[in-house]
Amino acid sequence: MSDHAANGHSDSFEVRILRQDAPGESSYWERHRVEHEPDMNVISVMQRVAARAQSADGKPVAPVAWDCNCLEEVCGACTMVINGQARQACTALVDKLLDEQPAEIELQPMQKFPVLRDLVVDRSRLFRALTRVKGWVPVDGSYDLGPGPRQSRTEQEVAYPLSQCMSCGCCLDACPQYTKIELTPGVDESAADFAARQEQTHDSAFLGAHAISQTVLFNSHPTGKVNAGERLDVLMDEGGLQICGNAQNCVAVCPKEIPLTTSIARAGRATTFRLLERWFEK
Amino acid sequence: MANQRVLVIGGGLAGLAAAMKLAELGTPVDLMSLTPVKRSHSVCAQGGINSCNDQTRQLGDSEWKHLDDTVYGGDFLQHQPPVKEMAYAAPKIIDLMDRLGVTFNRTQEGFLDHRRFGGTLYKRTAFAGATTGQQLLYALDEQVRRYEADGLINKYEYWDFLSPIRDDAGVCRGAVAQNLMTMEIRSFAADVVIVASGGPGLVYGRSTMSMVCTGSAVSRCFQQGAKYGNGEFIQVHPTAIPGADKLRLMSESARGEGGRVWVPRKPNDSRAPQDIPTAERYYFLEERYPEYGNLVPRDIATREIFDICVNDGLSVEADRQCVYLDLTHIPRAELDRKLGGILEIYEKFQGVDPRDFPMKIFPAVHYSMGGLWVDYQKSAEGGLEAGSPRNQSTGIPGLYAIGECDYQYHGGNRLGANSLLSCIFSGLFVAPCVQSAMEAQQGSAADQPASLYENARQDKQSEHDALLNQAAGGENPYLLHQELGALMTRAATVVRRNDQLTEAYEKLGELAERSRNCSLSDSGAWTNQNVVFTKALKDMFPIAKSIVRGALNRDECRGAHYKPEFAFSGLESEEPAERHHQAEAWCDRFEKNTEKWLKSSVASWDGENPQIAYEEVDTSLIPPRPRLYGLVGGEVIEQVWAERMARRHGESGNGAPQESSQAAPSTT
Amino acid sequence: MGSTESSTFLERNEFLIRRLHSLAGLIPVGAYMCIHLLTNASVLDSPGRFQTAVYQIHSLGAALPVVEWGFIFLPLLFHGILGVVIIRGGLPNSGAYRYTSNIRYSLQRGSGMVAMVFILWHVFHMHGWFHTAWWLENVAHPFFGAQFSPFNAASSAGAALGSSLVAILYAIGMLSCVFHLANGIWTMGITWGVWISPAAQKRASFVCSVFGVGLAVVGMSALWGMKTVDQEAARQVEHKMLEAKLASGEITEEEAEEKSAPHAAEAETGAAQAESESDTHTGG
Repeated sequence: MSDHAANGHSDSFEVRILRQDAPGESSYWERHRVEHEPDMNVISVMQRVAARAQSADGKPVAPVAWDCNCLEEVCGACTMVINGQARQACTALVDKLLDEQPAEIELQPMQKFPVLRDLVVDRSRLFRALTRVKGWVPVDGSYDLGPGPRQSRTEQEVAYPLSQCMSCGCCLDACPQYTKIELTPGVDESAADFAARQEQTHDSAFLGAHAISQTVLFNSHPTGKVNAGERLDVLMDEGGLQICGNAQNCVAVCPKEIPLTTSIARAGRATTFRLLERWFEK
Repeated sequence: MANQRVLVIGGGLAGLAAAMKLAELGTPVDLMSLTPVKRSHSVCAQGGINSCNDQTRQLGDSEWKHLDDTVYGGDFLQHQPPVKEMAYAAPKIIDLMDRLGVTFNRTQEGFLDHRRFGGTLYKRTAFAGATTGQQLLYALDEQVRRYEADGLINKYEYWDFLSPIRDDAGVCRGAVAQNLMTMEIRSFAADVVIVASGGPGLVYGRSTMSMVCTGSAVSRCFQQGAKYGNGEFIQVHPTAIPGADKLRLMSESARGEGGRVWVPRKPNDSRAPQDIPTAERYYFLEERYPEYGNLVPRDIATREIFDICVNDGLSVEADRQCVYLDLTHIPRAELDRKLGGILEIYEKFQGVDPRDFPMKIFPAVHYSMGGLWVDYQKSAEGGLEAGSPRNQSTGIPGLYAIGECDYQYHGGNRLGANSLLSCIFSGLFVAPCVQSAMEAQQGSAADQPASLYENARQDKQSEHDALLNQAAGGENPYLLHQELGALMTRAATVVRRNDQLTEAYEKLGELAERSRNCSLSDSGAWTNQNVVFTKALKDMFPIAKSIVRGALNRDECRGAHYKPEFAFSGLESEEPAERHHQAEAWCDRFEKNTEKWLKSSVASWDGENPQIAYEEVDTSLIPPRPRLYGLVGGEVIEQVWAERMARRHGESGNGAPQESSQAAPSTT
Repeated sequence: MGSTESSTFLERNEFLIRRLHSLAGLIPVGAYMCIHLLTNASVLDSPGRFQTAVYQIHSLGAALPVVEWGFIFLPLLFHGILGVVIIRGGLPNSGAYRYTSNIRYSLQRGSGMVAMVFILWHVFHMHGWFHTAWWLENVAHPFFGAQFSPFNAASSAGAALGSSLVAILYAIGMLSCVFHLANGIWTMGITWGVWISPAAQKRASFVCSVFGVGLAVVGMSALWGMKTVDQEAARQVEHKMLEAKLASGEITEEEAEEKSAPHAAEAETGAAQAESESDTHTGG
């Protein structure tokens, strides 16, 4: 049990938040003072900050914008950089954070994605990567065609952890090889043109650990295997697996403890064979 | 037909299933969601998904029995044809999800593994670890992404549905929505709008539901003329972990594996739980229900925990209601083996190891059986007519509702592991129905005058601007929401009393009035969550009022709706003849009550208040019978009831219900 | 999908180029380094032994520059230059995320940069890069390069390492190379999918560490051996060996002159500083 909860430490604590009013604008730090309550997590801190709408020095400020949904660490929405590390705000417990760093809690938006406002970032590149790797089982359709392929318990036990990936982006934010792409719309550019340009840029940038792991997941599925070659080709295309620098932060920060580096190594082996196949069999 | 489109509001299981099926049928879909669809609330479902399966079938199970369990669990308040259709579709849905790559747990031989859930005798529930909802959602999300890559589905994520657009004839021709990032408001033309926006958990402040579950989309349809059915039926889960931000589910299996529920006998005992001697602990479930102990049915556990805190004042904490759920007497190794996953959740969020310290838990609002009223067309077999445009229609032409936000499948109470099924089923089933509706439609959305869309957009734009520019009224929307949540939780959850409900209804009026005077602390033109939340808050009141009004009207106990004043007590007499006599009286009373109250409440909005009408329930497949679980003298009542039914069927000469319940399985 | 028409050759073939980069690090570059350090360490046995090894290499004769450039310098340049490109594509963050493998990621990049600078200098310092007369006269020798004389292997190397500063820089550079290779083998095993599970990666990491420490010992021994060699004694041994080679006709006079240290032919003693006299060695 945390000492803070037990000892009833100071009544309030400070939160330092890196804010930004809109995309492309400059960011600034703002301090907030929050009353301490038992069992607080960063989400409840944000709720108090929003309700109070006042900075620590009593100045009225707009509520800090942030993203969240399930608050149970299964939806992946509330990723932010808390005390320097990308993690989920819902499982970041205040008492533990104050144990780590007693003076204050520091909140920043994710560093590898364009900021929309305050702690809200645009993670569309992350989802786009799932399309790039064809992250689905290519079924004939949703008509009743009987049960799926039989799978051993062992296969399920390998696949299940990978399929728990909730696209939170922690692995990407912590990855030294995954670098931020922030485009600004041109003066005469329509929203659709801008979106298309963004997509095109994302398509040649690093996929990231989550998408590599999804590739491995679908390539190991009995039906998903059908597209295995195509998926490997994507891993071997621009921005593919080769960008990985084996820093292995992905696996260390993954809140769901998904064996991402195992997936990366499996993808490495598969692409090695794919390379030989391309040279000697085609 | 070629340029007709469908707009789906909500990207949870139901919305994704509908989008996938429509795209498969060749209809372009715009899929709108408050959040990236992969983050929808469906991910929170842990337990599993029900269907009759090869194993249970050999033990005597059938789709019919699944139907029976579902309507019995729902206290017969749901129309039976849709439930029948769902139960019969269930095995195929499991097969489909299996083919889509859901990582269901497997048996040693590689078949799907199943577990047993409440309300049935069969191991019907397929599951994927402790994250079945997440796994099912991801499988559908992947298929939708596939169709998106093919250009058949367009996603509009981070868009807030503001209103359906209805033409002069009242037909729904699209929707107005707002981008949560750029704050742009625009109209979407659509030939059919399907609302799949989930439950209204935020009406209760904190619940087990996600933060997008505001109920606002449903409320906006309700305020535009859609009807709201069975609002008063709200499922409360007995054991949740109270958090400052939300209430998180603690699975029933903790009690199943020997967890004991207790409170200190002394109110506000400040000692640590392990320092309180056994004699000074009140194991109230074990004392009050010696037979079932801690494993009393869900609703009883919920009521007792509520009662011990609210009425007996024995809550473990003074400023927050909770009781101990104690596992510390069980060896660690055993706990790790049987309950590892769920104990980790507690540890992760509470920072306390439940193997060393008793967990603190309290009931929490979990699911809304009520929702938008929807129609159906019964088939000759007693199920639904596939492809009929009436199925899942809200009654407003062109506006459909599916998933948790429709009222149709769970009656007075929902069985565990049936919600994932109803969401996927209604999503898949609605697609051909929507297609027939579009084929029959007079003029497509594309033919509507531009002014229809522009006027609708401008209405919402001026509402938005007015809200941003209104003079500071001094009300803080977040604090107002807390007040609303506290009020609803107090009056309209576990135990309902007419005096409290009356008072709550008045109070709701005041809060709704105050919500018009919210001071916005943010006038920003980018990602203004403050204004979005304020709008959602205002739209919570029609739903809250419908819940409270429905509960106030309903003077009986049914499913999750419990009014102690109207509860049927058990039999008191020990003397057999008298006991039989009492049972007869009990059954008389039951029949009278059924006659009076086996009706769905259907609310419509008059601009200020819900007007509640009542609708007969189609119980043509399985006649209503008393729910007797745990009632004193239940066996005698059951016997009397059976005799009475047999007699009646004898009189009428055919015994139709009896026959149908036996004949049905052979029709499969 | 990623390859659009506008992408460059490098972008289109990114995967293959990265794999070649990875491969080049091991073969031939890494393998060469092992042989190089082992050969150099033979000086610990005796300068003569080392000289024998050098003669063996130089028995390639005219093919030597081809081998040097084709199998050593070009792969090295490829590995180094691409390495810089790769380093520029990442943003090390081992300050914020202090995990062992992340620190190794940063060190791999740091050691790579040090190694590249060191090797460029080292090759210039010892070998001179090019052996044309003009280059040697106008660039190599004026800037203290091309100090190694193959037929006076130990003595010229010892002389080149005479300054403690040079020796320390050599130690730093050589250890960077060794770390870069050992850690590089570990990451290479993941990249190519040799070791997959965390447990296997851990075992591989242990093996690579042992290998790295071993190679570092060999390298440091070689450096120590070179630095502390008795240059005069060595020169005499080398002289005798050269005489024998000349006598047998294995080596021509011309070659002998080119590949010998300026004073070696005289076989005289004297702690002449190689640097100060390097400009006399321009016969070619």
